[in-house]
Amino acid sequence: MGAIRKLVRSDRIAYLFVAPALLYMLLLVGYPILYNIVLSVQNVTVKNINSGEHIFVGLDNYIRLFQNGILSQSTVNTLVFTIACIIVQFLLGLLLALFLNRYFTAAKFVRGMMMMPWMIPMTVTALMFKFMFSTNVGIINQMLLALGLIVSPIDWLTSPVTAMIAVITANVWVGIPFNMILLTVGLTTIPAELYESASIDGANGWKSFRHITLPLLKPTIESVLVLGFIYTFKVFDLVFVMTNGGPVNATQLLSTYSYKLSFSLFKYSDGAAVANVLFVILLIASLIYLKFTYADEEGK
Amino acid sequence: MDTCFPMKRRNNLLFSVFAVILLILFLLPLYWTLVTSLKTEQEIFQIPPTLWPTTLNTKSYAAQLEMGDFNMFQSFGNSMVIALSAMGIAVLLSVPAAYAVGRYRFKGKKLIVLCFLVTQMLPVSVLLTPMFIIFKNMQLISNWLSVILADATIGIPFSILILKNYFASIPNELEDAAEIDGCNRVSAFFRIFIPITIPGIVVCAIFSFLYAWGDLAYGMTLIQKQPLRPITAGIFNFLGQYGTKWSYLTAFAIVTIIPVAIIFLCMQKYIITGLTAGAVKG
Repeated sequence: MGAIRKLVRSDRIAYLFVAPALLYMLLLVGYPILYNIVLSVQNVTVKNINSGEHIFVGLDNYIRLFQNGILSQSTVNTLVFTIACIIVQFLLGLLLALFLNRYFTAAKFVRGMMMMPWMIPMTVTALMFKFMFSTNVGIINQMLLALGLIVSPIDWLTSPVTAMIAVITANVWVGIPFNMILLTVGLTTIPAELYESASIDGANGWKSFRHITLPLLKPTIESVLVLGFIYTFKVFDLVFVMTNGGPVNATQLLSTYSYKLSFSLFKYSDGAAVANVLFVILLIASLIYLKFTYADEEGK
Repeated sequence: MDTCFPMKRRNNLLFSVFAVILLILFLLPLYWTLVTSLKTEQEIFQIPPTLWPTTLNTKSYAAQLEMGDFNMFQSFGNSMVIALSAMGIAVLLSVPAAYAVGRYRFKGKKLIVLCFLVTQMLPVSVLLTPMFIIFKNMQLISNWLSVILADATIGIPFSILILKNYFASIPNELEDAAEIDGCNRVSAFFRIFIPITIPGIVVCAIFSFLYAWGDLAYGMTLIQKQPLRPITAGIFNFLGQYGTKWSYLTAFAIVTIIPVAIIFLCMQKYIITGLTAGAVKG
Protein backbone atom coordinates (compact mmCIF):
# COMPACT_ATOMS: atom_id res chain seq x y z
CA MET A 1 0.00 0.00 0.00
CA GLY A 2 2.77 2.40 0.96
CA ALA A 3 4.48 1.93 -2.37
CA ILE A 4 1.31 2.66 -4.31
CA ARG A 5 0.65 5.78 -2.29
CA LYS A 6 4.19 6.94 -2.94
CA LEU A 7 3.81 6.36 -6.65
CA VAL A 8 0.51 8.24 -6.74
CA ARG A 9 2.18 11.23 -5.10
CA SER A 10 5.29 11.33 -7.28
CA ASP A 11 5.74 12.61 -10.78
CA ARG A 12 6.62 9.14 -11.93
CA ILE A 13 2.95 8.28 -12.10
CA ALA A 14 3.04 10.14 -15.42
CA TYR A 15 4.65 7.06 -16.97
CA LEU A 16 1.57 5.09 -16.06
CA PHE A 17 -0.66 7.57 -17.83
CA VAL A 18 1.44 7.81 -20.95
CA ALA A 19 2.37 4.12 -21.23
CA PRO A 20 -0.76 2.72 -22.93
CA ALA A 21 -0.68 5.24 -25.78
CA LEU A 22 3.07 4.98 -26.14
CA LEU A 23 3.03 1.18 -26.26
CA TYR A 24 0.18 1.25 -28.75
CA MET A 25 2.08 3.56 -31.07
CA LEU A 26 5.33 1.63 -30.68
CA LEU A 27 3.60 -1.61 -31.61
CA LEU A 28 1.43 -0.30 -34.43
CA VAL A 29 3.68 2.40 -35.90
CA GLY A 30 7.21 1.94 -34.57
CA TYR A 31 7.38 -1.78 -35.23
CA PRO A 32 5.93 -1.56 -38.77
CA ILE A 33 8.46 1.18 -39.64
CA LEU A 34 11.33 -1.06 -38.55
CA TYR A 35 9.77 -4.07 -40.22
CA ASN A 36 9.42 -2.04 -43.40
CA ILE A 37 13.17 -1.40 -43.43
CA VAL A 38 13.82 -5.13 -42.96
CA LEU A 39 11.36 -5.98 -45.74
CA SER A 40 13.03 -3.57 -48.13
CA VAL A 41 16.36 -5.40 -47.94
CA GLN A 42 14.79 -8.83 -48.41
CA ASN A 43 13.09 -10.50 -51.36
CA VAL A 44 9.56 -11.04 -50.09
CA THR A 45 6.91 -11.54 -52.78
CA VAL A 46 3.59 -13.34 -52.85
CA LYS A 47 5.44 -16.58 -53.67
CA ASN A 48 7.55 -16.80 -50.55
CA ILE A 49 5.54 -14.74 -48.08
CA ASN A 50 4.25 -17.78 -46.22
CA SER A 51 7.37 -19.94 -46.43
CA GLY A 52 9.55 -17.70 -44.31
CA GLU A 53 12.57 -18.22 -46.58
CA HIS A 54 13.42 -14.59 -46.97
CA ILE A 55 16.87 -13.87 -48.35
CA PHE A 56 18.82 -10.78 -47.43
CA VAL A 57 19.54 -8.88 -50.65
CA GLY A 58 21.06 -5.66 -49.32
CA LEU A 59 20.27 -2.55 -51.31
CA ASP A 60 19.50 -4.51 -54.50
CA ASN A 61 15.82 -3.58 -54.45
CA TYR A 62 16.60 0.12 -54.21
CA ILE A 63 19.24 -0.02 -56.95
CA ARG A 64 17.05 -2.05 -59.31
CA LEU A 65 14.02 0.18 -58.73
CA PHE A 66 15.98 3.35 -59.35
CA GLN A 67 17.53 1.85 -62.48
CA ASN A 68 14.25 0.80 -64.06
CA GLY A 69 13.22 4.44 -64.05
CA ILE A 70 9.74 4.35 -62.56
CA LEU A 71 10.98 5.10 -59.05
CA SER A 72 12.86 8.16 -60.30
CA GLN A 73 9.84 9.19 -62.33
CA SER A 74 7.55 8.77 -59.32
CA THR A 75 9.88 10.86 -57.19
CA VAL A 76 9.90 13.64 -59.79
CA ASN A 77 6.12 13.38 -60.21
CA THR A 78 5.60 13.62 -56.46
CA LEU A 79 7.79 16.72 -56.33
CA VAL A 80 6.03 18.36 -59.30
CA PHE A 81 2.62 17.54 -57.83
CA THR A 82 3.61 18.80 -54.38
CA ILE A 83 5.25 22.02 -55.48
CA ALA A 84 2.51 22.95 -57.94
CA CYS A 85 -0.14 22.29 -55.29
CA ILE A 86 1.63 24.28 -52.59
CA ILE A 87 2.17 27.32 -54.81
CA VAL A 88 -1.40 27.50 -56.08
CA GLN A 89 -3.13 26.69 -52.81
CA PHE A 90 -0.90 29.04 -50.86
CA LEU A 91 -1.51 32.01 -53.16
CA LEU A 92 -5.27 31.46 -53.36
CA GLY A 93 -5.44 30.69 -49.65
CA LEU A 94 -3.57 33.89 -48.85
CA LEU A 95 -5.86 36.01 -51.05
CA LEU A 96 -8.92 34.50 -49.41
CA ALA A 97 -7.48 34.90 -45.92
CA LEU A 98 -6.71 38.59 -46.57
CA PHE A 99 -10.12 39.19 -48.09
CA LEU A 100 -12.10 37.38 -45.39
CA ASN A 101 -10.04 38.96 -42.63
CA ARG A 102 -11.80 42.27 -43.31
CA TYR A 103 -14.77 43.00 -41.12
CA PHE A 104 -17.92 42.56 -43.16
CA THR A 105 -21.06 40.70 -42.26
CA ALA A 106 -20.65 37.52 -44.29
CA ALA A 107 -16.91 37.08 -43.68
CA LYS A 108 -17.04 34.67 -40.77
CA PHE A 109 -19.81 32.56 -42.24
CA VAL A 110 -18.09 32.26 -45.62
CA ARG A 111 -14.76 31.41 -44.02
CA GLY A 112 -16.40 28.69 -41.96
CA MET A 113 -18.27 27.15 -44.88
CA MET A 114 -15.14 27.15 -47.01
CA MET A 115 -13.60 24.62 -44.62
CA MET A 116 -16.02 22.02 -45.93
CA PRO A 117 -13.75 20.49 -48.62
CA TRP A 118 -11.13 19.84 -45.99
CA MET A 119 -13.48 17.50 -44.12
CA ILE A 120 -14.69 15.43 -47.04
CA PRO A 121 -13.11 11.99 -47.43
CA MET A 122 -10.45 12.15 -50.15
CA THR A 123 -12.06 9.21 -51.93
CA VAL A 124 -15.20 11.26 -52.42
CA THR A 125 -13.26 14.33 -53.56
CA ALA A 126 -11.46 12.13 -56.08
CA LEU A 127 -14.75 10.74 -57.35
CA MET A 128 -16.29 14.21 -57.71
CA PHE A 129 -13.35 15.52 -59.70
CA LYS A 130 -13.11 12.37 -61.77
CA PHE A 131 -16.71 12.99 -62.76
CA MET A 132 -16.16 16.68 -63.47
CA PHE A 133 -13.04 15.98 -65.54
CA SER A 134 -14.54 13.09 -67.51
CA THR A 135 -14.34 13.55 -71.27
CA ASN A 136 -17.96 13.25 -72.35
CA VAL A 137 -20.15 14.10 -69.37
CA GLY A 138 -17.68 16.23 -67.46
CA ILE A 139 -18.90 19.71 -66.58
CA ILE A 140 -15.42 21.15 -67.12
CA ASN A 141 -15.32 20.16 -70.79
CA GLN A 142 -18.93 21.32 -71.18
CA MET A 143 -18.10 24.73 -69.78
CA LEU A 144 -14.95 25.13 -71.86
CA LEU A 145 -16.88 24.13 -74.98
CA ALA A 146 -19.72 26.51 -74.20
CA LEU A 147 -17.27 29.35 -73.68
CA GLY A 148 -15.59 28.48 -76.98
CA LEU A 149 -12.20 27.97 -75.33
CA ILE A 150 -11.84 24.50 -76.83
CA VAL A 151 -13.33 23.01 -79.99
CA SER A 152 -13.43 19.37 -78.96
CA PRO A 153 -13.57 17.70 -75.52
CA ILE A 154 -10.21 17.20 -73.76
CA ASP A 155 -9.31 13.71 -72.52
CA TRP A 156 -8.27 15.10 -69.15
CA LEU A 157 -7.55 11.93 -67.26
CA THR A 158 -6.10 9.90 -70.10
CA SER A 159 -3.40 12.25 -71.40
CA PRO A 160 -0.23 12.68 -69.34
CA VAL A 161 -0.03 16.45 -68.82
CA THR A 162 -3.75 17.09 -68.39
CA ALA A 163 -4.04 14.18 -65.94
CA MET A 164 -1.45 15.84 -63.74
CA ILE A 165 -3.32 19.16 -64.02
CA ALA A 166 -6.55 17.40 -63.01
CA VAL A 167 -5.13 15.76 -59.88
CA ILE A 168 -3.41 19.01 -58.90
CA THR A 169 -6.71 20.89 -59.30
CA ALA A 170 -8.54 18.41 -57.09
CA ASN A 171 -5.88 18.54 -54.42
CA VAL A 172 -5.75 22.34 -54.47
CA TRP A 173 -9.48 22.38 -53.77
CA VAL A 174 -8.75 20.64 -50.50
CA GLY A 175 -5.59 22.62 -49.79
CA ILE A 176 -7.05 26.12 -50.15
CA PRO A 177 -9.17 26.03 -46.98
CA PHE A 178 -6.28 24.53 -45.05
CA ASN A 179 -3.92 27.33 -46.11
CA MET A 180 -6.60 29.97 -45.62
CA ILE A 181 -7.43 29.02 -42.04
CA LEU A 182 -3.80 28.81 -40.93
CA LEU A 183 -2.95 32.13 -42.56
CA THR A 184 -6.05 33.68 -40.97
CA VAL A 185 -4.80 32.63 -37.55
CA GLY A 186 -1.47 34.25 -38.38
CA LEU A 187 -3.18 37.45 -39.52
CA THR A 188 -5.17 37.83 -36.31
CA THR A 189 -1.95 37.96 -34.30
CA ILE A 190 -0.86 41.15 -36.08
CA PRO A 191 -1.93 44.07 -33.87
CA ALA A 192 -4.41 46.43 -35.54
CA GLU A 193 -2.59 49.46 -34.11
CA LEU A 194 0.26 48.83 -36.53
CA TYR A 195 -2.03 49.36 -39.49
CA GLU A 196 -3.59 52.42 -37.89
CA SER A 197 -0.28 54.14 -37.30
CA ALA A 198 0.87 53.14 -40.77
CA SER A 199 -2.20 54.70 -42.33
CA ILE A 200 -1.53 57.90 -40.41
CA ASP A 201 1.93 57.85 -41.99
CA GLY A 202 0.22 57.49 -45.36
CA ALA A 203 0.90 53.79 -45.97
CA ASN A 204 -2.12 51.89 -47.25
CA GLY A 205 -2.98 48.89 -49.35
CA TRP A 206 0.03 47.33 -50.99
CA LYS A 207 2.52 49.33 -48.91
CA SER A 208 1.12 48.20 -45.57
CA PHE A 209 0.85 44.64 -46.89
CA ARG A 210 4.46 44.71 -48.05
CA HIS A 211 5.91 46.32 -44.92
CA ILE A 212 3.65 45.11 -42.10
CA THR A 213 1.64 42.04 -43.05
CA LEU A 214 4.28 40.13 -44.95
CA PRO A 215 7.18 40.43 -42.46
CA LEU A 216 4.97 39.71 -39.45
CA LEU A 217 3.31 36.80 -41.22
CA LYS A 218 6.64 35.23 -42.13
CA PRO A 219 6.73 32.59 -39.36
CA THR A 220 3.19 31.51 -40.25
CA ILE A 221 4.02 31.41 -43.95
CA GLU A 222 7.07 29.25 -43.31
CA SER A 223 5.17 26.74 -41.26
CA VAL A 224 2.21 26.69 -43.67
CA LEU A 225 4.52 25.94 -46.59
CA VAL A 226 6.45 23.18 -44.84
CA LEU A 227 3.26 21.67 -43.45
CA GLY A 228 1.71 21.91 -46.92
CA PHE A 229 4.71 20.06 -48.31
CA ILE A 230 4.32 17.27 -45.76
CA TYR A 231 0.58 16.87 -46.29
CA THR A 232 0.80 17.02 -50.09
CA PHE A 233 3.86 14.83 -50.48
CA LYS A 234 2.08 11.92 -48.84
CA VAL A 235 -1.20 12.18 -50.79
CA PHE A 236 -2.40 8.75 -51.78
CA ASP A 237 -6.19 8.26 -51.94
CA LEU A 238 -6.86 11.18 -54.24
CA VAL A 239 -4.51 10.17 -57.02
CA PHE A 240 -5.11 6.46 -56.52
CA VAL A 241 -8.84 6.88 -57.12
CA MET A 242 -8.66 9.55 -59.84
CA THR A 243 -5.95 8.14 -62.13
CA ASN A 244 -4.33 5.21 -60.29
CA GLY A 245 -0.99 6.67 -61.34
CA GLY A 246 -1.85 6.62 -65.04
CA PRO A 247 -1.79 7.17 -67.89
CA VAL A 248 1.47 5.18 -68.14
CA ASN A 249 2.84 6.42 -64.80
CA ALA A 250 2.29 10.08 -65.72
CA THR A 251 0.72 10.73 -62.31
CA GLN A 252 2.46 7.90 -60.47
CA LEU A 253 3.46 9.19 -57.03
CA LEU A 254 5.74 7.47 -54.54
CA SER A 255 2.69 6.52 -52.47
CA THR A 256 0.70 5.06 -55.39
CA TYR A 257 3.77 3.32 -56.82
CA SER A 258 4.52 1.67 -53.48
CA TYR A 259 0.92 0.48 -53.30
CA LYS A 260 1.02 -0.84 -56.84
CA LEU A 261 4.20 -2.84 -56.19
CA SER A 262 2.87 -4.34 -52.96
CA PHE A 263 -0.77 -4.92 -53.72
CA SER A 264 -1.14 -5.22 -57.51
CA LEU A 265 2.17 -6.89 -58.32
CA PHE A 266 2.56 -8.51 -54.86
CA LYS A 267 6.25 -7.58 -54.65
CA TYR A 268 6.18 -6.65 -50.99
CA SER A 269 9.88 -5.92 -50.64
CA ASP A 270 9.84 -3.57 -53.62
CA GLY A 271 6.78 -1.82 -52.21
CA ALA A 272 8.54 -1.44 -48.88
CA ALA A 273 11.64 0.02 -50.56
CA VAL A 274 9.59 2.68 -52.36
CA ALA A 275 7.72 3.46 -49.13
CA ASN A 276 11.07 3.98 -47.43
CA VAL A 277 12.11 6.57 -50.00
CA LEU A 278 8.87 8.40 -49.18
CA PHE A 279 9.53 7.94 -45.47
CA VAL A 280 13.02 9.41 -45.53
CA ILE A 281 11.96 12.50 -47.48
CA LEU A 282 9.00 13.10 -45.16
CA LEU A 283 11.05 12.52 -42.04
CA ILE A 284 13.48 15.22 -43.12
CA ALA A 285 10.62 17.61 -43.90
CA SER A 286 8.98 16.86 -40.54
CA LEU A 287 12.16 17.56 -38.63
CA ILE A 288 12.59 20.84 -40.50
CA TYR A 289 9.02 21.75 -39.62
CA LEU A 290 9.51 20.89 -35.97
CA LYS A 291 12.66 22.97 -35.86
CA PHE A 292 10.73 25.94 -37.25
CA THR A 293 7.78 25.72 -34.88
CA TYR A 294 9.55 24.63 -31.75
CA ALA A 295 12.66 26.77 -32.01
CA ASP A 296 11.04 29.59 -30.05
CA GLU A 297 9.11 27.35 -27.69
CA GLU A 298 12.31 25.83 -26.33
CA GLY A 299 12.95 28.97 -24.33
CA LYS A 300 9.83 28.50 -22.20
CA MET B 1 -11.29 44.08 -32.39
CA ASP B 2 -14.33 43.90 -34.64
CA THR B 3 -15.03 47.56 -34.07
CA CYS B 4 -11.60 48.72 -35.19
CA PHE B 5 -12.48 49.07 -38.82
CA PRO B 6 -16.13 49.95 -39.16
CA MET B 7 -17.04 49.45 -42.79
CA LYS B 8 -19.34 51.66 -44.77
CA ARG B 9 -22.71 50.03 -45.30
CA ARG B 10 -22.43 49.98 -49.06
CA ASN B 11 -19.00 48.39 -48.91
CA ASN B 12 -20.18 45.88 -46.37
CA LEU B 13 -22.94 44.75 -48.72
CA LEU B 14 -20.60 44.66 -51.71
CA PHE B 15 -17.99 42.61 -49.87
CA SER B 16 -20.60 40.24 -48.49
CA VAL B 17 -22.17 39.61 -51.88
CA PHE B 18 -18.78 39.00 -53.46
CA ALA B 19 -17.79 36.61 -50.65
CA VAL B 20 -20.99 34.62 -51.02
CA ILE B 21 -20.47 34.35 -54.79
CA LEU B 22 -16.95 33.05 -54.15
CA LEU B 23 -18.33 30.54 -51.68
CA ILE B 24 -20.92 29.27 -54.16
CA LEU B 25 -18.28 28.85 -56.86
CA PHE B 26 -15.99 27.10 -54.43
CA LEU B 27 -18.61 24.62 -53.30
CA LEU B 28 -19.88 23.95 -56.83
CA PRO B 29 -18.36 20.44 -57.00
CA LEU B 30 -20.50 19.44 -54.02
CA TYR B 31 -23.64 20.89 -55.56
CA TRP B 32 -22.89 19.20 -58.86
CA THR B 33 -22.46 15.83 -57.15
CA LEU B 34 -25.73 16.23 -55.28
CA VAL B 35 -27.82 17.16 -58.33
CA THR B 36 -26.22 14.42 -60.41
CA SER B 37 -27.20 11.84 -57.82
CA LEU B 38 -30.81 12.97 -58.24
CA LYS B 39 -30.88 12.87 -62.04
CA THR B 40 -31.73 9.99 -64.35
CA GLU B 41 -28.90 8.44 -66.36
CA GLN B 42 -30.25 10.00 -69.59
CA GLU B 43 -30.37 13.43 -68.05
CA ILE B 44 -26.76 13.14 -66.84
CA PHE B 45 -25.64 12.60 -70.43
CA GLN B 46 -27.77 15.45 -71.76
CA ILE B 47 -25.95 18.27 -73.59
CA PRO B 48 -26.00 21.03 -72.51
CA PRO B 49 -26.19 19.75 -68.93
CA THR B 50 -29.18 20.70 -66.79
CA LEU B 51 -28.41 22.75 -63.71
CA TRP B 52 -30.91 20.85 -61.55
CA PRO B 53 -32.84 17.61 -62.12
CA THR B 54 -35.84 18.13 -64.42
CA THR B 55 -37.29 14.87 -63.17
CA LEU B 56 -36.38 14.00 -59.63
CA ASN B 57 -34.88 10.53 -59.52
CA THR B 58 -34.24 8.94 -56.13
CA LYS B 59 -33.77 5.46 -57.60
CA SER B 60 -29.99 5.74 -57.37
CA TYR B 61 -30.33 5.70 -53.60
CA ALA B 62 -33.05 3.07 -53.39
CA ALA B 63 -31.30 0.74 -55.86
CA GLN B 64 -28.26 0.54 -53.61
CA LEU B 65 -30.25 -1.45 -51.11
CA GLU B 66 -30.48 -4.33 -53.57
CA MET B 67 -27.01 -4.17 -55.08
CA GLY B 68 -25.66 -7.28 -53.34
CA ASP B 69 -21.91 -6.86 -52.96
CA PHE B 70 -22.06 -3.10 -53.25
CA ASN B 71 -24.76 -2.50 -50.72
CA MET B 72 -24.14 1.14 -49.88
CA PHE B 73 -26.00 1.11 -46.58
CA GLN B 74 -24.19 -2.02 -45.47
CA SER B 75 -20.81 -0.40 -46.07
CA PHE B 76 -22.10 2.74 -44.36
CA GLY B 77 -22.75 0.61 -41.29
CA ASN B 78 -19.32 -1.02 -41.56
CA SER B 79 -17.68 2.39 -41.68
CA MET B 80 -19.70 3.53 -38.66
CA VAL B 81 -18.57 0.58 -36.55
CA ILE B 82 -14.95 0.93 -37.66
CA ALA B 83 -14.78 4.71 -37.22
CA LEU B 84 -16.55 4.74 -33.85
CA SER B 85 -14.30 1.97 -32.50
CA ALA B 86 -11.14 3.70 -33.74
CA MET B 87 -12.41 6.90 -32.15
CA GLY B 88 -13.01 5.10 -28.86
CA ILE B 89 -9.50 3.67 -28.77
CA ALA B 90 -7.94 7.00 -29.70
CA VAL B 91 -9.79 8.93 -27.00
CA LEU B 92 -9.25 6.31 -24.28
CA LEU B 93 -5.51 6.20 -24.89
CA SER B 94 -4.77 9.81 -25.67
CA VAL B 95 -6.58 11.52 -22.78
CA PRO B 96 -4.37 10.05 -20.02
CA ALA B 97 -1.25 10.36 -22.19
CA ALA B 98 -1.97 14.02 -22.92
CA TYR B 99 -2.59 14.60 -19.20
CA ALA B 100 0.83 13.14 -18.43
CA VAL B 101 2.79 15.16 -20.98
CA GLY B 102 0.72 18.29 -20.33
CA ARG B 103 1.07 18.40 -16.53
CA TYR B 104 4.10 16.42 -15.43
CA ARG B 105 7.85 16.73 -15.70
CA PHE B 106 9.53 13.40 -16.19
CA LYS B 107 12.55 11.90 -17.84
CA GLY B 108 12.15 11.18 -21.54
CA LYS B 109 9.11 13.42 -21.91
CA LYS B 110 10.63 15.47 -24.71
CA LEU B 111 11.49 12.36 -26.68
CA ILE B 112 8.00 10.94 -26.20
CA VAL B 113 6.37 14.16 -27.41
CA LEU B 114 8.74 14.21 -30.40
CA CYS B 115 7.72 10.65 -31.27
CA PHE B 116 4.05 11.61 -31.29
CA LEU B 117 4.81 14.68 -33.41
CA VAL B 118 6.69 12.67 -36.00
CA THR B 119 4.10 9.88 -36.18
CA GLN B 120 1.44 12.49 -36.82
CA MET B 121 3.22 13.47 -40.02
CA LEU B 122 3.90 9.96 -41.28
CA PRO B 123 1.98 8.80 -44.31
CA VAL B 124 -0.27 5.78 -44.25
CA SER B 125 1.55 4.50 -47.37
CA VAL B 126 4.72 3.84 -45.36
CA LEU B 127 2.92 1.57 -42.90
CA LEU B 128 0.69 -0.21 -45.36
CA THR B 129 2.94 -3.03 -46.57
CA PRO B 130 4.42 -3.98 -43.18
CA MET B 131 1.03 -3.75 -41.49
CA PHE B 132 -0.52 -5.97 -44.12
CA ILE B 133 2.10 -8.67 -43.54
CA ILE B 134 1.96 -8.33 -39.75
CA PHE B 135 -1.82 -8.64 -39.69
CA LYS B 136 -1.67 -11.45 -42.23
CA ASN B 137 0.62 -13.39 -39.93
CA MET B 138 -1.83 -12.75 -37.09
CA GLN B 139 -4.70 -14.00 -39.31
CA LEU B 140 -6.44 -10.66 -38.89
CA ILE B 141 -6.91 -9.82 -42.57
CA SER B 142 -10.60 -9.22 -43.34
CA ASN B 143 -11.18 -8.83 -39.63
CA TRP B 144 -12.41 -5.41 -38.50
CA LEU B 145 -9.98 -5.47 -35.60
CA SER B 146 -7.03 -4.89 -37.94
CA VAL B 147 -8.49 -1.83 -39.62
CA ILE B 148 -9.77 -0.41 -36.33
CA LEU B 149 -6.32 -0.77 -34.75
CA ALA B 150 -4.69 0.79 -37.81
CA ASP B 151 -7.15 3.70 -38.09
CA ALA B 152 -6.70 4.62 -34.42
CA THR B 153 -3.00 5.29 -35.05
CA ILE B 154 -4.01 8.39 -37.05
CA GLY B 155 -6.14 9.85 -34.28
CA ILE B 156 -3.89 9.17 -31.28
CA PRO B 157 -0.93 11.51 -31.94
CA PHE B 158 -3.26 14.27 -33.13
CA SER B 159 -5.39 13.97 -30.00
CA ILE B 160 -2.45 13.88 -27.61
CA LEU B 161 -0.90 17.00 -29.12
CA ILE B 162 -4.16 18.94 -28.96
CA LEU B 163 -5.13 17.85 -25.47
CA LYS B 164 -1.64 18.41 -24.11
CA ASN B 165 -2.17 22.16 -24.50
CA TYR B 166 -5.60 21.97 -22.88
CA PHE B 167 -4.21 20.21 -19.82
CA ALA B 168 -1.19 22.49 -19.63
CA SER B 169 -3.40 25.59 -19.59
CA ILE B 170 -5.31 24.57 -16.45
CA PRO B 171 -4.03 26.66 -13.51
CA ASN B 172 -2.06 24.88 -10.79
CA GLU B 173 -4.26 26.39 -8.07
CA LEU B 174 -7.06 24.10 -9.16
CA GLU B 175 -4.93 21.04 -8.56
CA ASP B 176 -3.76 22.37 -5.22
CA ALA B 177 -7.33 22.99 -4.13
CA ALA B 178 -8.27 19.48 -5.16
CA GLU B 179 -5.40 18.08 -3.09
CA ILE B 180 -6.59 19.96 -0.03
CA ASP B 181 -10.02 18.46 -0.56
CA GLY B 182 -8.45 15.02 -0.35
CA CYS B 183 -7.98 14.23 -4.04
CA ASN B 184 -4.86 12.37 -5.01
CA ARG B 185 -3.49 12.70 -8.50
CA VAL B 186 -5.49 9.84 -9.94
CA SER B 187 -8.79 11.01 -8.54
CA ALA B 188 -7.95 14.62 -9.48
CA PHE B 189 -7.48 13.44 -13.05
CA PHE B 190 -10.96 11.96 -13.16
CA ARG B 191 -12.81 14.53 -11.05
CA ILE B 192 -11.09 17.78 -12.03
CA PHE B 193 -9.11 17.49 -15.24
CA ILE B 194 -11.37 15.40 -17.43
CA PRO B 195 -14.51 17.52 -16.85
CA ILE B 196 -12.60 20.74 -17.62
CA THR B 197 -11.12 19.39 -20.83
CA ILE B 198 -14.38 18.04 -22.28
CA PRO B 199 -14.38 20.58 -25.18
CA GLY B 200 -10.89 19.44 -26.14
CA ILE B 201 -11.88 15.81 -25.86
CA VAL B 202 -14.82 16.49 -28.18
CA VAL B 203 -12.43 17.97 -30.78
CA CYS B 204 -10.25 14.86 -30.55
CA ALA B 205 -13.20 12.52 -30.80
CA ILE B 206 -14.49 14.33 -33.90
CA PHE B 207 -11.15 14.24 -35.65
CA SER B 208 -10.39 10.64 -34.74
CA PHE B 209 -13.78 9.70 -36.14
CA LEU B 210 -13.27 11.73 -39.32
CA TYR B 211 -9.79 10.31 -39.96
CA ALA B 212 -11.13 6.78 -39.67
CA TRP B 213 -14.24 7.59 -41.69
CA GLY B 214 -12.19 9.01 -44.55
CA ASP B 215 -9.58 6.27 -44.62
CA LEU B 216 -9.34 4.28 -47.82
CA ALA B 217 -5.87 2.74 -47.77
CA TYR B 218 -6.18 0.66 -44.59
CA GLY B 219 -9.79 -0.26 -45.28
CA MET B 220 -9.21 -1.70 -48.73
CA THR B 221 -5.88 -3.36 -47.93
CA LEU B 222 -6.66 -4.97 -44.59
CA ILE B 223 -10.25 -5.92 -45.42
CA GLN B 224 -10.40 -8.07 -48.53
CA LYS B 225 -14.05 -9.14 -48.40
CA GLN B 226 -16.33 -6.60 -50.01
CA PRO B 227 -19.31 -7.08 -47.62
CA LEU B 228 -17.05 -6.17 -44.69
CA ARG B 229 -15.36 -3.19 -46.29
CA PRO B 230 -15.86 0.43 -45.25
CA ILE B 231 -17.80 2.77 -47.50
CA THR B 232 -14.74 4.46 -49.02
CA ALA B 233 -13.44 1.12 -50.27
CA GLY B 234 -16.96 0.35 -51.49
CA ILE B 235 -16.94 3.49 -53.63
CA PHE B 236 -13.56 2.59 -55.04
CA ASN B 237 -14.64 -0.93 -55.99
CA PHE B 238 -17.87 0.34 -57.45
CA LEU B 239 -15.93 2.86 -59.50
CA GLY B 240 -13.79 0.06 -60.91
CA GLN B 241 -16.77 -2.07 -61.91
CA TYR B 242 -19.43 0.43 -62.94
CA GLY B 243 -17.15 3.31 -63.87
CA THR B 244 -19.70 5.35 -65.80
CA LYS B 245 -22.81 4.75 -63.72
CA TRP B 246 -22.52 8.27 -62.42
CA SER B 247 -25.98 8.45 -60.83
CA TYR B 248 -25.11 5.54 -58.52
CA LEU B 249 -21.57 6.75 -57.94
CA THR B 250 -22.62 10.25 -56.96
CA ALA B 251 -25.34 8.84 -54.69
CA PHE B 252 -22.64 6.74 -53.03
CA ALA B 253 -20.54 9.89 -52.61
CA ILE B 254 -23.41 11.85 -51.06
CA VAL B 255 -24.17 9.10 -48.54
CA THR B 256 -20.49 9.07 -47.54
CA ILE B 257 -20.52 12.83 -47.03
CA ILE B 258 -23.69 12.89 -44.91
CA PRO B 259 -22.09 12.15 -41.50
CA VAL B 260 -19.24 14.54 -42.31
CA ALA B 261 -21.67 17.29 -43.29
CA ILE B 262 -23.76 16.78 -40.14
CA ILE B 263 -20.67 16.92 -37.93
CA PHE B 264 -19.42 19.93 -39.85
CA LEU B 265 -22.63 21.93 -39.55
CA CYS B 266 -23.25 21.12 -35.89
CA MET B 267 -19.70 21.38 -34.62
CA GLN B 268 -18.07 23.93 -36.89
CA LYS B 269 -16.57 25.83 -33.97
CA TYR B 270 -14.89 22.75 -32.56
CA ILE B 271 -13.58 21.74 -35.95
CA ILE B 272 -11.93 25.06 -36.67
CA THR B 273 -10.35 25.05 -33.20
CA GLY B 274 -9.02 21.58 -33.86
CA LEU B 275 -7.68 22.37 -37.28
CA THR B 276 -5.80 25.45 -36.21
CA ALA B 277 -4.55 24.16 -32.87
CA GLY B 278 -3.50 20.85 -34.33
CA ALA B 279 -1.73 22.17 -37.36
CA VAL B 280 -0.03 25.33 -36.16
CA LYS B 281 1.07 24.41 -32.70
CA GLY B 282 1.38 20.69 -33.22
